[in-house]
Amino acid sequence: MIPILSHTDAQTVNFAIWAVVLPFAAFVLNLLLFNKNRIAALVSTVGIVVSLVLAIKVFTSVWNAPVIHAQITWFIIGATKVQAGLLLNNLSVLMLLLVPMIALPVHIYSIAYMKDDEGYSRYFRYLSLFCFSMLGLVVVDNLIMLYAFWELVGFSSYLLIGFWFTRQSAVMANKKAFIMNRIGDIGLLTAIIILFTLFGTFDIQALFGKEGFVQLSNIAAGMWAGPHSAIPAVWQYVAFAGIFLAVAAKSAQFPLHTWLPDAMEGPTSVSALIHAATMVAAGVFLLGRVYPLFIESELTILAIVGCFTAFMAATIALTQNDLKRILAYSTISQLGFMVLAMGIGAYASSLFHLVTHAFFKCLLFLVAGIVIHQMKHIKDDNNLDIDPQNILHMGGLRKKLPLTFIVTIIGALALVGFVFTSGYLSKDGILIQSFVWAEGKSAVFTIVPYFALLTSVLTAFYVARLVVKVFFGEFRLQKVNPHIHIHMGDGNWLYKAPLVFLAICSLFPLFSNSPVFYEDAWIYKSFLPSNFLVRENIYHTIIPILVNLLAVFVMYAAFAFYGKRNAWSFPQTGLLYRISYNEWYIDRFYNRVIVKFVMWFSNLLYWFDKKVVDGLVHLFTRIGKSLATIAAWLDRNIVDGLLHLIAGIVQAIGNFARRFQGGKVQYYLYSMLLVLAFVFIFKMIWT
Amino acid sequence: MITQQDFMIISVMLFCIGVFIIVSKKNAIQVLIGIELMLNAAILNLVAFGKLDRANNGGQVFALFAIVLAAATTAVALAIILNVYRRYKTIDPDKINQLKD
Repeated sequence: MIPILSHTDAQTVNFAIWAVVLPFAAFVLNLLLFNKNRIAALVSTVGIVVSLVLAIKVFTSVWNAPVIHAQITWFIIGATKVQAGLLLNNLSVLMLLLVPMIALPVHIYSIAYMKDDEGYSRYFRYLSLFCFSMLGLVVVDNLIMLYAFWELVGFSSYLLIGFWFTRQSAVMANKKAFIMNRIGDIGLLTAIIILFTLFGTFDIQALFGKEGFVQLSNIAAGMWAGPHSAIPAVWQYVAFAGIFLAVAAKSAQFPLHTWLPDAMEGPTSVSALIHAATMVAAGVFLLGRVYPLFIESELTILAIVGCFTAFMAATIALTQNDLKRILAYSTISQLGFMVLAMGIGAYASSLFHLVTHAFFKCLLFLVAGIVIHQMKHIKDDNNLDIDPQNILHMGGLRKKLPLTFIVTIIGALALVGFVFTSGYLSKDGILIQSFVWAEGKSAVFTIVPYFALLTSVLTAFYVARLVVKVFFGEFRLQKVNPHIHIHMGDGNWLYKAPLVFLAICSLFPLFSNSPVFYEDAWIYKSFLPSNFLVRENIYHTIIPILVNLLAVFVMYAAFAFYGKRNAWSFPQTGLLYRISYNEWYIDRFYNRVIVKFVMWFSNLLYWFDKKVVDGLVHLFTRIGKSLATIAAWLDRNIVDGLLHLIAGIVQAIGNFARRFQGGKVQYYLYSMLLVLAFVFIFKMIWT
Repeated sequence: MITQQDFMIISVMLFCIGVFIIVSKKNAIQVLIGIELMLNAAILNLVAFGKLDRANNGGQVFALFAIVLAAATTAVALAIILNVYRRYKTIDPDKINQLKD
């Protein structure tokens, strides 16, 4: 390996490699040995446990220490040498730790959650494959491997969304997710190619590291100049657009976000791991990796898109009735916050929010899983025709699921950004920095922080609505059908342990020893550039207080609306309601315009293929066939005929001649006489 | 007056009858008789033209030779017919067709 690593560094690199490879080993083992076996769950879980232990070791030795960058030569094309290796810096080891830390509770939870499913071992196989791809994605050091793992993550997500592939909706959902992710993949590939064209390397450290090529490059006089060569500046914007597409697809940002709500067709535990905590964070992680690439205006675009996504998703979440869909839109909203944070330069806060969000959103999804599971039991026990995910059927579950209720409150408060939770530390950090960012800019940009603040308030409202509808009031299903048989509970320790673990992780002590000041959080400090702002202005005090007060007020309002069932409620016919309920008509727009156009175009191409291309081929076939028929006729009648004619003549002569050789003496004499007679006749004629 | 021409006509008639017997009869003995007739037609010719050679009587002498030879060949032919009969149990020339390849 080049450069030569010290002993401890080499050990760390080995640990990191093993942490990545173990889930893959579990995947292979499950595929080959435990194809239809329940041991598969154990294999996958052990794999992720060991992976977690190794990740902790790697984390402790790399965190806030010099970057470890180990690589070997992968292949050489001409003069270009492509290296493959590991890049362990703060960002990658944080993700390396986060992924198994979220994956482990999900694995344990899944053992119980999936135990009655036919595809039990298949499920764990896919889960291991996903963990491998995600871990690989965060540690690799070059863009080619990053791209490969990026695709693998998308693919394993595709497999898991379509896990119940007998359902038509699941198949549609995974197709949609896959196609939308492909759009992002094209963007990423474009960006990689542009970067390679200019800088001649795929190495992330060489490109984006300190004093890397990207930092040394500059845009001047319409040219984007790297250290060795220069290309027109427009390619820089194209590269940004590509990266943005990739991020938007993977992290469900505005134009490409519609796959995520549909992806909730997968098992809930999968949604918890992939579509809430890890995979969707890959886009933000990518932003973190290539952060030096962006110039000022591009960051502003990121901020605006992130803010818009956060706001839009929050408004949609207000009116949805599907438990998982609400959480999905909430995830999109929070991812919007992360992208917004990246855009305003709050790099540290963005990653901090990524980590805290992973814990509390995973927790909320696991809770949703339990609730849906119980509702499904009721549905199956009583032969009811209801949607087990619809929150309108629920209510009053806090008495029946006490532990679930407590952890939900913790998760919900963290999502709202209430003080004492981890969400407070990370999200309020983003809000404060967005106000600071907007201060020096024109009035247009001040919309961004206010919208972020508004989103935060909306978040408080829809979270409160969700909690109240599910856990407070009366059990509406029982109210409608008074005779149903209900038997529900928190479940065994396989359900409880992950919930408790994640709930503890959603509180502030894991991240900071001060519950109030986000600047004290250790993750935040480690990512901070040297010139960070101290608590210098008024926002640092006002914003958190404002957010919390508003949140309390809004949550109380929601409680009053939904819990107490006062005489009045929201109108369900207004324009705003319809926009929100129909998810801003974005999906419908895509279906009506883009999908329709693509289908029309495909049909056109199909027609062209069938009529013109196939027609030509058929024409050639027909010409060939008729030519062949003529040739066959000629062959049979002329060529063969000639031969047959000759053969026939010879045969006839033979037949004629053999009559003279009948073996009868008298015939011989007779023929002799005839010959003699002819001789005499000829002689008489000629003379 | 019997002329030279009358002898020739008799001789031709005899020859033709002999040929007809040879190709038409279904009995080897009769075929042999046909052969004898043809031979005798030739001998008749020899005798008829022998009249022109008064000095040496070559025609008459040659006719005598031919008659003796004819007797000898007839004996041989009868012996062959006997052997054929022993082998094929028939003397019909149509049935004896083993001369073919």
